[in-house]
Amino acid sequence: MSLASSDARIEPGTDTRPPAGSFEEAFRAEHRRRRRHAAMWRLVLNAAGIALFVIAWELIPRYSSWINEVLFPPPSQVFEAFVPLLLSGEIVKNIRVSLLRAASGFGVALVLGIGAGVMTARLSWLQYLFEPLLHGFRSIPAIALIPLCILWFGIGETSKTALIAWGAFFPLWITTFIGVRDVNPIYLRSAACLGAGRLTTLFLVVLPAALPFILAGIRQALSVSLVVLVAAEMSGASSGIAHMMSEGHQLFRVDIMFIGLAVLGAFGFLVDRTFVAVARRLFPWYQITS
Amino acid sequence: MSAAGALIAVEHVSQVYAGRDGAPNWALRDVSLRIGRGEFVCLIGPSGCGKTTLLHLVAGFVKPTSGTVSFAGTPVAGPGPERVVVFQEYALFAWMTARQNVEFGLRTRGVPRAERRALALRALERVSLRHAADRYPHELSGGMRQRVAVARALVVEPEVLLMDEPFAAVDAMTRQSLQEDLLRLWRETGVSVVFVTHNVDEAAFLAQRVVVMGANPGSIRADLAIEAPHPRDRGSPRFAALYSDVADALAAHHGRKAA
Repeated sequence: MSLASSDARIEPGTDTRPPAGSFEEAFRAEHRRRRRHAAMWRLVLNAAGIALFVIAWELIPRYSSWINEVLFPPPSQVFEAFVPLLLSGEIVKNIRVSLLRAASGFGVALVLGIGAGVMTARLSWLQYLFEPLLHGFRSIPAIALIPLCILWFGIGETSKTALIAWGAFFPLWITTFIGVRDVNPIYLRSAACLGAGRLTTLFLVVLPAALPFILAGIRQALSVSLVVLVAAEMSGASSGIAHMMSEGHQLFRVDIMFIGLAVLGAFGFLVDRTFVAVARRLFPWYQITS
Repeated sequence: MSAAGALIAVEHVSQVYAGRDGAPNWALRDVSLRIGRGEFVCLIGPSGCGKTTLLHLVAGFVKPTSGTVSFAGTPVAGPGPERVVVFQEYALFAWMTARQNVEFGLRTRGVPRAERRALALRALERVSLRHAADRYPHELSGGMRQRVAVARALVVEPEVLLMDEPFAAVDAMTRQSLQEDLLRLWRETGVSVVFVTHNVDEAAFLAQRVVVMGANPGSIRADLAIEAPHPRDRGSPRFAALYSDVADALAAHHGRKAA
């Protein structure tokens, strides 16, 4: 008799439910509470993971017999070494130098890589002319060029900028090339029949359409820049984070090397987050999955 | 209609594509068609009959293998804003809002910003989408996207609107209201419309003239004038007769009886 009873319930006279307004209010409040709860729980676990790691790192070298405290200093010692470096300004100076190198090399690569990608994708004769060279050079790891670069440019800023630019150029070129080559022809045809010329089409249609690929290339190029930066600074430099680490190596100061690692990790993390935030703000139609 | 008097004159056009093994594939064979100013013409036919190829030839996206295509007396050399195409789907620029999309054709001709904006909003108003001006295409339904596409095409004041199955991907209810809006805009602006479809009902509802095409090789099989005035009532016996005229012409060259 379920049918009969459900019929009875929708009759206005026998309605015993609370008014819809308050039910929906309660439903919403409950939904909000659950979402807040889930977010809090996630944050708590995130923090707990970090705390567990730091505690284990602190306790194991101190109380175990199988880890040498000199080779694996606990966080308290690393922090002790960090404070004077911070106060003397040495670490800030090194961070600034490294940042500047990475940024200048990456900047050069950004302009050249996207430019080359657009040109080779839009002009087939340029593509055929340069593709063997570009693919050949792309196969050489940037790190392999360090000794040659030092011979040619010395250990100054030029050689570092050139190395980073070289390493970051190829991912930018290839992703821009693919993105521009694969622009949906319907976009190009729409632009053409609305009267767009070459430059308008390039800046208002081709580049935005290729943007998902270009952004992927930028992200990859950013991380390549950091790798090449570290390699270049370690093999010949008088300043910079990685140079500080190789000094720590020579002085047998593992704590300084750990500081370098932490700075580089934070560096890479912040660069990537900044990239995502800037891209979200500039290109609201394109959703980046973190 | 003489060749000089026609807005669009397609004369003995053949279009041949290379097949997979290089064998010639006749998308169109010796097709001639004239379309007058202000006409509403539907091209209908099965897939592979070359109706889209014919539209693309008029748009200037491809050059005919042989024969000539001319527009207002001059040969078509490439795409241009007097012949704007509305595609089936995904032709709105995803990185621009509805308003920016509509502004695009004005931007290419250097219309100042404020004027561009006003014209774009007015064009959106005409397709009842002023409220959606600042939304991106992915925030619009399929029917709304096609309305924006029509607004984007009309804002540059083309002489002909070339429509390539523009309403094929939207649901039946939306399609009917898009068709009614298109007829209203056609009457208001006096633009010519060449409308590709494979839907008999759509052709019978919209066109003043239905060009029936067939495949292998792509060619024109019949050219029907439809005298009935707009708006046409889909429930009327008159409409049923129109429908079966078009369906019969289509079936006659297709080896099947009309459904």
